[in-house]
Amino acid sequence: MKRLGIISLFTLLFAVFIIVWNYSYQSGLEEAYIPINNNKPTSYFLENEGMEYSKFDLDYANMPFDENHQRTLEEYYKNRAYYGAPPIIPHSVKEDLNIGRNSCLQCHQSGGFSKRFKAYAPIVPHPEMTNCKQCHVPQKSNSLFSETNFKKGKFPEVGVNSALNGSPPTIPHPIQMRKNCLSCHATPSTPKKIRVTHPERIDCMQCHVQSNNNINISELEVFIRKNYTNEK
Amino acid sequence: MYTSVLTDRRSFIKRMALLSAMTAAATMFPGILFAEEQERGLPKNGNLDWKKAPCRFCGVGCGVLVGIENGKAVAVKGDPKSEVNKGLCCVKGYHSVIAMYGKDRLTKPLIKKNGKYVETSMKEALDLIASKMKETIKDYGKDAVSIYGSGQWTIPDGYVASKLFKGCIGTNNVEANARLCMASAVTGFMTSFGMDEPMGCYEDIDYADVFVLWGNNMAEMHPVLFSRMLDQRSKRNIKIIDLATRTTRTSKASDRSIIFEPQTDLAIANAICYEIIKNGWVNKSFVEKHCNFSKGLTNIGYGLEDKFKFKDKPEKITFEEYKKFLEDYTPEKVSKLSGVSVRDIKYMASYYGDPNKKVMSLWCMGVNQHTRGTWMNNLVYNIHLLTGKISEPGNSPFSLTGQPSACGTVREVGTLTHKLPKGVVMNKKHREIAAKIWDVPVENISPKPTYHTVEMFRALDRGDIKFMWIQVTNPMVTMPKLKRYRDAAKKEGRFIVVSDIYPTPTTDIADVILPSAMWIEREGMYGNSERRTQYFEQMVEPPGESMSDTWQLIEVAKRMGYEKQFYYKEETHIEEIYNEYIQFHKGKKHGMAPLEVLKEESGAIWPYVDGKSTQWRFNSKYDPATTKEGFDFYGKPDGRAVIWQRPYEPAAEVPDSDYPYWLNTGRVIEHWHTGSMTRRIPVLHKAMPYAYVELNPEDAKRMRIKTGDKVKLTTRRGEIIMPASVNERGIPAPMQVFVPFFDENMLINDITLDSFCPISKEPDYKKCAVKVEKV
Repeated sequence: MKRLGIISLFTLLFAVFIIVWNYSYQSGLEEAYIPINNNKPTSYFLENEGMEYSKFDLDYANMPFDENHQRTLEEYYKNRAYYGAPPIIPHSVKEDLNIGRNSCLQCHQSGGFSKRFKAYAPIVPHPEMTNCKQCHVPQKSNSLFSETNFKKGKFPEVGVNSALNGSPPTIPHPIQMRKNCLSCHATPSTPKKIRVTHPERIDCMQCHVQSNNNINISELEVFIRKNYTNEK
Repeated sequence: MYTSVLTDRRSFIKRMALLSAMTAAATMFPGILFAEEQERGLPKNGNLDWKKAPCRFCGVGCGVLVGIENGKAVAVKGDPKSEVNKGLCCVKGYHSVIAMYGKDRLTKPLIKKNGKYVETSMKEALDLIASKMKETIKDYGKDAVSIYGSGQWTIPDGYVASKLFKGCIGTNNVEANARLCMASAVTGFMTSFGMDEPMGCYEDIDYADVFVLWGNNMAEMHPVLFSRMLDQRSKRNIKIIDLATRTTRTSKASDRSIIFEPQTDLAIANAICYEIIKNGWVNKSFVEKHCNFSKGLTNIGYGLEDKFKFKDKPEKITFEEYKKFLEDYTPEKVSKLSGVSVRDIKYMASYYGDPNKKVMSLWCMGVNQHTRGTWMNNLVYNIHLLTGKISEPGNSPFSLTGQPSACGTVREVGTLTHKLPKGVVMNKKHREIAAKIWDVPVENISPKPTYHTVEMFRALDRGDIKFMWIQVTNPMVTMPKLKRYRDAAKKEGRFIVVSDIYPTPTTDIADVILPSAMWIEREGMYGNSERRTQYFEQMVEPPGESMSDTWQLIEVAKRMGYEKQFYYKEETHIEEIYNEYIQFHKGKKHGMAPLEVLKEESGAIWPYVDGKSTQWRFNSKYDPATTKEGFDFYGKPDGRAVIWQRPYEPAAEVPDSDYPYWLNTGRVIEHWHTGSMTRRIPVLHKAMPYAYVELNPEDAKRMRIKTGDKVKLTTRRGEIIMPASVNERGIPAPMQVFVPFFDENMLINDITLDSFCPISKEPDYKKCAVKVEKV
């Protein structure tokens, strides 16, 4: 009788366990089946994450400075069809079949000196976007299909963006997909004209504001303070 | 200005102090910070006028911001506010504005006189076109004149074309190149759901767990959407499965690349359905409540002969009959046919069958340009219907398009021979609606469809059509079995008008060439793949005498005596046309957003009801047009979608001992369609200067062909010599070759086959038999 009692107790316990487990499993499934996320998905362009990329600031600050292998700003602009265009790939690409990803990023994520090109690899400001060849294409030919009348506009100049002598210059370009300031302004491949003197100071936009690229100034009206005392 | 890295600690601290002081000072006197002199050195670029537009190129319909300076478009950036691309473009989009500034842009109308093109005035050219049309109609009847447009027509272009030809002249000779790219998608939707266009939207990408790409090289053809998928993969555990006949960038970037023998996708889809039923993964309550089973005719032919006719005879079947039919498609049997391993078939089926996985299927030309394209579309829907994975965020069979307004203009305005803006010409009610809005007698609209695209060019060859007006497209590069149709156009007694922006092989056959205003040189709207209608204003002046296609048609219509119907004023005609057009779509099922909304926002998704876009149709949670709880496929009278019994049938032309290879054609990321625009963008042309034939490395080795060697391709239609490409952009499977079609110097379509899907009449550019020889 005692034995039977123990057995039935265990059977009961087991049955309860099965039921509970099954219930939790089912509800787990159910939960998994209603994963409709009502929150709007996050944008796939990092907003406000600029600072995260500044985490190598001290490395940049301590990096030796190789003046013999530095690009000029003219070279930097030469690879762009217009000011703000995605640069072309100025070198041949071994494998055409991939979208870019690691084969591009192995040089362009953290930079470094390339013996083959005798230059420092520029660092991509948006390494999270891996379909590189979606926007950046190598040039296989020098000829044109037909002549074009399109002219490159002027590119921004350096040294004229400060209000006062020595005040922090404004950012003369859009920062969409270029939020990682240091990748262009502090690496060994940086043209010396746009090289930052203080990469260790992380929050670039604390001092450097964007000039009016993103705002259509002409749409803004002059602000006139309401004089409440004179109001009826 | 340049200062080297920190020289010593002291100067560093000094500079820091100075800098902080200046910053502090600047903050205290904000007026100084924004002083004008600070912007003095900036190029005017900083003050560019940025205006929004949908991209000119593919069907994704990215929002772009075009930078305008001194009346010229000088820069492009992605519109961060656009729901479509959220600020990202592809290389074509970023350089799109350059396409307007080619030196050889057509700026004056040209009339062919004694074999030479003579410059003339727009007035004279339009007079000639109108009188030629009237004369042709008088001598040969209404059905001797025709218009061939495109999925690049803006909505107003297509609308006035349809109104003029179908409503006023009274002929259904209206077709568009979209017949060559998404007709199968349309017939797929119509047969399965009774209503065209996807039920879901791009946002599905943000929710789906598994992506199955059916013959769709998205990394190159829809790169912005592909990047959106890659972005999801970096955040969540998702899987991308590339099911294709050729190894591409997409295959390399996906989690699994599965290669199948051409045409066997029909069998693979059926095998997946077999597995779903066998393993009990059918969503029974969904199928019982919302689905019917049907079968149609089999052995339906390939449309190779002139005046080919086909009409499907749908017949209802039971689930048991359908189950029985699928027994021919066990993974083991299909594996032998398709070359896909049993494991891979089961692997795909298991994702479709797993109730906890949200699956998105994506396809474009691989499925549509198929002699069984309609069937293939049906079969993908079958999978989603059996598992109930449809019309929900993340569960989405999604048919992509390749042109900016294939959906907006060709499908919604209905610029196909059987279509009206609402409904079809065969339906009396639909004709009455059209006649009323168009202000024409209802007898004007002929109840009989005439020629689909291939047949229209065949009719031109036979002489049944004497006059053809071609707008915004380049059929003399894109028609399959091209030589026949090129010769046809050159025949005596044919009169061809071509409206374009650059000289192309199509302008070469023209009797009159009209210079068109493109994209942002005029005002208009496009409709993209996710039912989003987008508006763009005129931002720059068109060169020379260039005129929008809409206005060209209106001018001719007026000259033909239809002033009453074409009452539009030049300044406001786009708005007037749009407002007239959206009357057709009134109601909860297809309501279009008012123009003010399109001007404000980055487009709106129809059905636009009570000021809201409908992102997921047929689901009562999201779609106000549904009349019952849950799902309501209201395109069909009984609210049920159809699961079709569609068998595997071989391709029209299969490799044999004389022509042992498969020939596949397609696109590359740099060029869009026939390249008449993208090849005039230096960055893109330099990146991809000419076409080539891609070979499998093993085949190349055997024939001793290396990249750059000349290779002769011969089919039963002719031959062509082009450079080889081995181990470059793509790797075809053994005994297959691939050729991009953008290059007008190497017209691959001279040798392709003009077989088509008997239901959709869309040609199959992906499969014919070819002989490959080293020259």
